[in-house]
Amino acid sequence: MTLHFAKAAELLVPSLFHGFGVVIQATVLGFLLATVLGMIIAIGRLSTIKIVRGILYLYLELIRGTPLLVQLVYIYYVVPLLLNLIASMFGFKTNVQIASVTAGILGLGINYGCYMSEVVRAAILSIDKGQTEAALVLGFGKYEALFRIVMPQALRSIIPSLGNYLVMMVKDTSLLAYVAVNELLLRTQNFASQTFLTIESYTFLAIAYLVISIPLSYLVKFIEYRLKDK
Amino acid sequence: MFRLVNLEKKFGNLEVLKSISMFIDYGEVVCIIGPSGSGKSTFLRCLNLLEIPTSGRIYYSGSILDPDLDCKKLRREVGMVFQKFNLFPMFNVLKNITYAPMLINKMKEEDAKELAMDLLAKVGLADKANEYPSKLSGGQQQRVAIARALAMKPKMLLFDEPTSALDPELVGDVLEVMKQLATEGMTMAVVTHEMGFAREVADRVIFMDKGYIVEEGTPEKIFSNPENQRTKEFLARVI
Repeated sequence: MTLHFAKAAELLVPSLFHGFGVVIQATVLGFLLATVLGMIIAIGRLSTIKIVRGILYLYLELIRGTPLLVQLVYIYYVVPLLLNLIASMFGFKTNVQIASVTAGILGLGINYGCYMSEVVRAAILSIDKGQTEAALVLGFGKYEALFRIVMPQALRSIIPSLGNYLVMMVKDTSLLAYVAVNELLLRTQNFASQTFLTIESYTFLAIAYLVISIPLSYLVKFIEYRLKDK
Repeated sequence: MFRLVNLEKKFGNLEVLKSISMFIDYGEVVCIIGPSGSGKSTFLRCLNLLEIPTSGRIYYSGSILDPDLDCKKLRREVGMVFQKFNLFPMFNVLKNITYAPMLINKMKEEDAKELAMDLLAKVGLADKANEYPSKLSGGQQQRVAIARALAMKPKMLLFDEPTSALDPELVGDVLEVMKQLATEGMTMAVVTHEMGFAREVADRVIFMDKGYIVEEGTPEKIFSNPENQRTKEFLARVI
């Protein structure tokens, strides 16, 4: 058996470059969604209102207790059917569909948002209560104290952890292949099944992920180092 | 200025304050002394509603306080200095002082800076304006904290054991600043273990034990001629 890396490179690598675009789009939007959700959930879980805390706790258990892949499939296939079913109960005939990239971004954002909320919550709790009190006695409101005094200090420990989640999310975009997002894995699978260049194709795929994730993780380390320095 | 009627505070089943009634007049310096765990700090923190009393009423400049409505307004007028300073570590000294006046009182930046420099001169730290809190000694940090509280132009200051976290040789500078404030007529409530300061500066001393105000009166009366047995025992141990 001879290997045809040159041939695979010629045909597959341009396709993988297009796949990069999809990966970056899904990661950037998914990560933004996750960050916003993470902040909201973290602050909600520190709320003094019991019901808010209870609901968010259940939600976290639900998301953390199921695999990301199952959530993606559920959002892509099941949620539109459910919406149509509910609409039909009210006498509307609808055909809601969800674009595969949208489902992917939602899945990544919702899943990672839950894990990131724990990071944010822990960081907020790690800031001395005296900081909040000092702000309160100067006439700040509860949320002013949180966002202007506590959060800027918490960010120093939040940012490095979020960076690690970003690197993980880049790699987890490969799961989006299962909801028909034409990212790196799906492109490679299609190529390999057409050409039977299995070894070559998947080797290039692995290299493609390394090309993104290694520089990114070094960037995260660099930012972490810079934050510690101050 | 303040009048407290039957104030009580419970943490769960633990009664920390039991039926506290007292008053503080304008311009008065009241020192609160007592063994640890006697409820002194909790009492002080009830005055600016950092702790919400379980029951009882607080009157502030003639009207009854509603913890849900009056927090912010009250805290703008009643400043507080903590045992652990609680300066904002990400701001330099100047910004620590100017931040709240600019944000809360909408003071212009130049005015706030001028005020801050005046206050820093007053507490003897004009040369430290651009330092970060972590570079200062405890005594210097506490004096910055006092300047920060003063920048809001409060009508009254609460001091929660302001010298307890300091090395002994740094206590004097902080007490000196507080003494100066007292002579300028600032209304002050001071929880302290510095009996010398209480004796010299206070208009009135309150001795608290186990959540009760056991005895109160002029420093001469409390320190030279205490009536209550518990006051006598406490003073015998600390002086």
